[in-house]
Amino acid sequence: MLAIEHLSKSFGPLQALNDVSFTIQPGEIMGLIGQNGAGKSTTFHSILGFLKYSGQIRWHDQPITESVFDEIGYLPEERSLMPKLTVEQQIVYLARLKNKSAKEIKPQIDDWLAKFAVKGKRTDKIKDLSKGNQQKIQLICTLIHQPKLLILDEPFSGLDPVNVDLLEQAIFAAKKQGAAIIFSSHDMGNVEALCDHLIMLKAGHVALSGRLDEVRNQFGKTHLFVTTDWVQARLEQLPQVVKVTQLAPQRYLLQLADPAAGPEIFQQLTQGHYIEEFSQQAPTLDEIFRMKVGETNA
Amino acid sequence: METYLRQIKSWSFLILVLAPFVMLGLTVGIGYLSGTSGQDSQRIAVIADRSSLRKQFIRQNKSDVKADIHSTSAAKKAVKANQIAGYLVLKSDAQQVTATYRGGQSLANGLKAQVDVLLAQQQQQLNLANAKLSTAQAQALQQQPQFKQIVHKKTGSDKIARLISFWVMVLLVYMILITYSSITATEIASEKGTKIMEIIFSSTTASKYFLGKILGVLLVIMTQLVVYVVGGWSSYLVAQRVSISKELVANNQDLINKVLGNLFSVNLVYLLLGVVLYTILAAFSGALVAKAEDASKAAQPATYLSMIAFFATFPFQNNADVLVVKILSYVPFFSSYFMPLRIIDQSVSGWAVVGSLAILLASILLLIRYIGGIYEGLMLQTDDTSFWKSFKRGISYR
Repeated sequence: MLAIEHLSKSFGPLQALNDVSFTIQPGEIMGLIGQNGAGKSTTFHSILGFLKYSGQIRWHDQPITESVFDEIGYLPEERSLMPKLTVEQQIVYLARLKNKSAKEIKPQIDDWLAKFAVKGKRTDKIKDLSKGNQQKIQLICTLIHQPKLLILDEPFSGLDPVNVDLLEQAIFAAKKQGAAIIFSSHDMGNVEALCDHLIMLKAGHVALSGRLDEVRNQFGKTHLFVTTDWVQARLEQLPQVVKVTQLAPQRYLLQLADPAAGPEIFQQLTQGHYIEEFSQQAPTLDEIFRMKVGETNA
Repeated sequence: METYLRQIKSWSFLILVLAPFVMLGLTVGIGYLSGTSGQDSQRIAVIADRSSLRKQFIRQNKSDVKADIHSTSAAKKAVKANQIAGYLVLKSDAQQVTATYRGGQSLANGLKAQVDVLLAQQQQQLNLANAKLSTAQAQALQQQPQFKQIVHKKTGSDKIARLISFWVMVLLVYMILITYSSITATEIASEKGTKIMEIIFSSTTASKYFLGKILGVLLVIMTQLVVYVVGGWSSYLVAQRVSISKELVANNQDLINKVLGNLFSVNLVYLLLGVVLYTILAAFSGALVAKAEDASKAAQPATYLSMIAFFATFPFQNNADVLVVKILSYVPFFSSYFMPLRIIDQSVSGWAVVGSLAILLASILLLIRYIGGIYEGLMLQTDDTSFWKSFKRGISYR
């Protein structure tokens, strides 16, 4: 288990992290979201020991030292490989730093290249690969030693939807093998698709924390999607409706001041008749993110 | 190990290691070719009325005489055709020995001296015969003067040997320092530019990685030195046997032995440790640049320091026992140049060498420890700021 307790870090007058705490169990995926400069990379750098910090970071109740480096897989925000090495040399070099032998790693390389649909051979030089394929090689380097703690800084940036799927599958496979995974992303779609837990950082503070469904439900089911022949002005008259947005012809999003008004709105709108759509939901992660960012800027 | 393998597989390393041997080969080859092609036109013909006289001269000056020309007419033709430099006509009657040289230019001094010796010998024989002396009188006239010279230890070939050793040693140190400073700074700066360091530092500690880098470069340098020692020794053995250089080696055996003695000594340890110290400095400044393109800038501190130390040795090549040299032979970064100077000059005690080596070694260990400690901070911050700002930020990064 990765346990972070009261993590704080400042760079001169800038408080980059302030009393951040969370835990990740083996087999769990944690999503770390926040605006640029919110402290996501600083959190990762603290876990990896690149920075001195106050607070405690422990992996299986032990401080993270060189002895557990082999269990960590880390993908930095900016991708970087050694352009003059071949694919095989690059993968073997980084795996050897994780105390894996070339003998152990070499037979696995073809399978991993196929798994990530890399267009290129193991004998190709890194510099001759396309940017997307270089990114895949970097992911292979992060995963091939089967880490128990996976730290991915913006793993989806620059990937097309097909490759996003491939990466999601790889992350789920690592989860299935019992890895504790933490990743940052600006794309709330990826976060909603993958995460068990969520942390949102806002100027170094924890703004949101918890299971994904819990976080969403904290905000109440204030979003009501309806498909009806009622006009917008009439919908605005319904109880507890604060805003009506037309999404498509005869399709609207009603924002409620009080989620408890749902049944009454249903009665008035349907009057016992069939209605094509009536769906009361909590705000999406994207909306929550924007809402929280708005609070930050206010 | 990765650093070592990457470096020794590179073209620049191969060129670096092979260049001296290629240069040596070229010099010997060109010297041999120009020697053989120009040899005939430098030789002379000898014509004599007494064949014994001619044979004696040819025997004494084999390499300078074209022996297959026997007559004046043939010699004249050969001079015209530029095949020989000229011809010497030796004549002898009962009273007088004469020699006449005809050629485009006057006879070379060495050869003229040989002609004088021969003429003097022959004339003396004639004079003795004509004087009709008794055996005792003849023996008395044969008495020769004696010349003895006693050479003190620090004169003669010893002085030349010191001078050659000084230049070879100082140039060797300078070339190797400049080369490896540049290689190390470039390699480290290029890694910093790619930001692969974050991945590496999530796998091993920065100090271990830094130490590995330095050891890798050290192994490369040792490989180069082994190649130089083995190659140099092989060249020396070959030079002793091959006809074109055999005579040169034999004539200068004493000088060569002294120079080799000066080079294959504790001076090599100074060379090795000096390179390590400068490599650490280069690695440190390599870690201070923000991107790979600035790598040449990164090597500058080590290069400039090495140049200062190199040029500082010049005034002291003939007076290695002055105070400045004594002080600098203990100062790290300078001692690799100045202590070999004193060792070659034989003006330093064994204990002083041990003391200087201990200071050098301690400086290396301290620098490795210190830079290893701040290396992570230096490599992980990539803001494009000035050298000193970068250094300050690197130290306070954590």
